[in-house]
Amino acid sequence: MAGDNISVIKILDVLLVTIPPDPDDELVKVLQDKVLQGMARHQVKGVVLDISACQTVDSFFARVITETAQMVVLMGGRTVIAGMQPSVAITATQLGLRLGSAGTALNVEHALEKLDAGFSRERTT
Amino acid sequence: MIDNNHEYIVITGESDIILARKTMREVCGKLGFSLTDVTRIVTATSELARNICLYAGTGVMRWCYLERGTAVGIELTFEDHGPGIADIQQVMQEGYSTSNGLGLGLPGSRRLMDELEIRSRVGEGTIVVVKKWRR
Repeated sequence: MAGDNISVIKILDVLLVTIPPDPDDELVKVLQDKVLQGMARHQVKGVVLDISACQTVDSFFARVITETAQMVVLMGGRTVIAGMQPSVAITATQLGLRLGSAGTALNVEHALEKLDAGFSRERTT
Repeated sequence: MIDNNHEYIVITGESDIILARKTMREVCGKLGFSLTDVTRIVTATSELARNICLYAGTGVMRWCYLERGTAVGIELTFEDHGPGIADIQQVMQEGYSTSNGLGLGLPGSRRLMDELEIRSRVGEGTIVVVKKWRR
């Protein structure tokens, strides 16, 4: 079923979303819902989209990512796209893609740093 | 150009876009294109196959190999019998879209490929031909 191979896990106080190598349209549409639901459920402050395995980013995928990042902003969070492959970065730039309010990082570790990820601060003493 | 080794994929829905992408990745990888050029070709394939789905519903993607002296390349043709394009100059402008998209498909594909040619007639359909030479 579509969406089964998108992994969405809570790590520290952010959501880590892993995109498969060749995401189809169904999966891309499911992604948005999974991310926003996950944000609400886990009360995280941001989302890391790990696209390091992703071989193709076309304008449809880019539009969904941009929209999702905007929705995450509305919910009070931030999105960082992590691990874009060099060939994908070259292609995306030539195609003319912009990623809107989403930040970028070289890899997941840097993305977590960028979001200042830490343990959830539930106790306020 | 050798025309007898044309191969094709019929595009009828979103799952065929993925099939077209996978096939081009394989074909162009075997032809010896660099990873970056494979990514460019696969991305242009995705854009142009999606245009068929969006505007015509169904169509066909054909491809054949190109040889010019020692140069090797690939030619892809995207053909549909959809509504056609009234103003080709307009659709080649970045940001122009009638489907609420980003309007990057055609102008972006032209930048990713070495050549892009559109022939279209309103009410009859559209043919987009793109070429990429191996470096």
